[in-house]
Amino acid sequence: MTFLSIFATGGFGLNLNLFETNIINLTVVIFGLYKFLPNFLGSMLERRRASILVDLDDAEERLSKATQALADAQKELAAAEQKAVQIRSDCKARAEAIRLESEKRTVEEMARIKQGAVSDLNSEAARVSSDLRREAAKLAIEKALLSLPSKLDSDTQAKFLNQAIKEMGEA
Amino acid sequence: MGSLSFAFPFAELEVGQHLYWEFGNFRLHGQVFMTSWIVIGALLALVVVGTRKMERDPRGVQNLLEFLWDYIRDLARTQIGEKAYRDWMPFIGTLFLFIFVSNWGGALVPWKLIHLPSGELGAPTADINTTVALALLVSLSYFYAGLSRKGLRYFEYYVHPTPIMLPFKIVEDFTKPLSLSFRLFGNILADELVVAVLVFLVPLVLPIPVMFLGLFTSAIQALIFATLAAYYIGEAVEEHH
Repeated sequence: MTFLSIFATGGFGLNLNLFETNIINLTVVIFGLYKFLPNFLGSMLERRRASILVDLDDAEERLSKATQALADAQKELAAAEQKAVQIRSDCKARAEAIRLESEKRTVEEMARIKQGAVSDLNSEAARVSSDLRREAAKLAIEKALLSLPSKLDSDTQAKFLNQAIKEMGEA
Repeated sequence: MGSLSFAFPFAELEVGQHLYWEFGNFRLHGQVFMTSWIVIGALLALVVVGTRKMERDPRGVQNLLEFLWDYIRDLARTQIGEKAYRDWMPFIGTLFLFIFVSNWGGALVPWKLIHLPSGELGAPTADINTTVALALLVSLSYFYAGLSRKGLRYFEYYVHPTPIMLPFKIVEDFTKPLSLSFRLFGNILADELVVAVLVFLVPLVLPIPVMFLGLFTSAIQALIFATLAAYYIGEAVEEHH
């Protein structure tokens, strides 16, 4: 107690009493833990680390595979796009050709139809004018026949006959 | 708590002595604060050192921290459930690590090398004030967890599955923090006292197995406290159908 009292009284300080501080037993316990824990905890942590590394490797491998697949797919996409462009330009050319062809045909057809129409018109006009002429003659005869009875009385008949006789006499 | 003091030729045994800090009307147990700060500082230092230079290949402290994170996540997920465990994992992890490092620090660090004017340094969790504070935090947390997740429907839990349960559930709200705090406090204080008494009676060799046992129970107590806290939170956020 006399040894203790130097340190145990007063304020803060160090207590270096071997028994009171239990330092010997603590050293043994800490040494035991130091021997025991790294084996136990260390192996656990190492297992964890190894499994994580394996997972990471797996993930990396999958990533590289996926990258490869992506590149392949992109290449295919580019090829398909090129093909699409080619098909589209082919189509355009064909469409242009078909358009020109049909335009030419239309123009020819139109010319032909115009030609036909002109000749039709001419023959029709001829027919119509001959019809008109015939109709006019018919109308004139009818009109003459209609006015004839009124004009043809006995005087006129006599005059006509006299004239006819005179003419016959002169002849 | 009254104080007892025994003196033998080899060692001295004190119970109920504290280094009081007067703070307004409060008389704080200074030695608990000191060890708490040391524990908090040690944990912060460990986390800062372990996460400062993180690599993809986990080595050393980073590996240890990730291992602890995995452990706490599994604990929280099994107790709280897949939906809500993310919100409460930091709380559970803090409880577990603080209690674990407090317990082991109390048992392994030769605190008695440092002599205080009154009382002695030890595990912060061997003081009832620390454990009560932690337990009350757990109570607040599970109320908050239940109310924030389910609103007033949280109180359906009190009449689930039958209204007969109401008084028991109300009593439970008081017994939960009580049992949490007393279990931890009792175990750690008892462990320290058993070692102290054994050192007092038989200074060498005999305390060693008891100290190892103390380390084991300390770890178990930290696990129990964290698991129960998570379980209470999980109970509060669980959906009844």
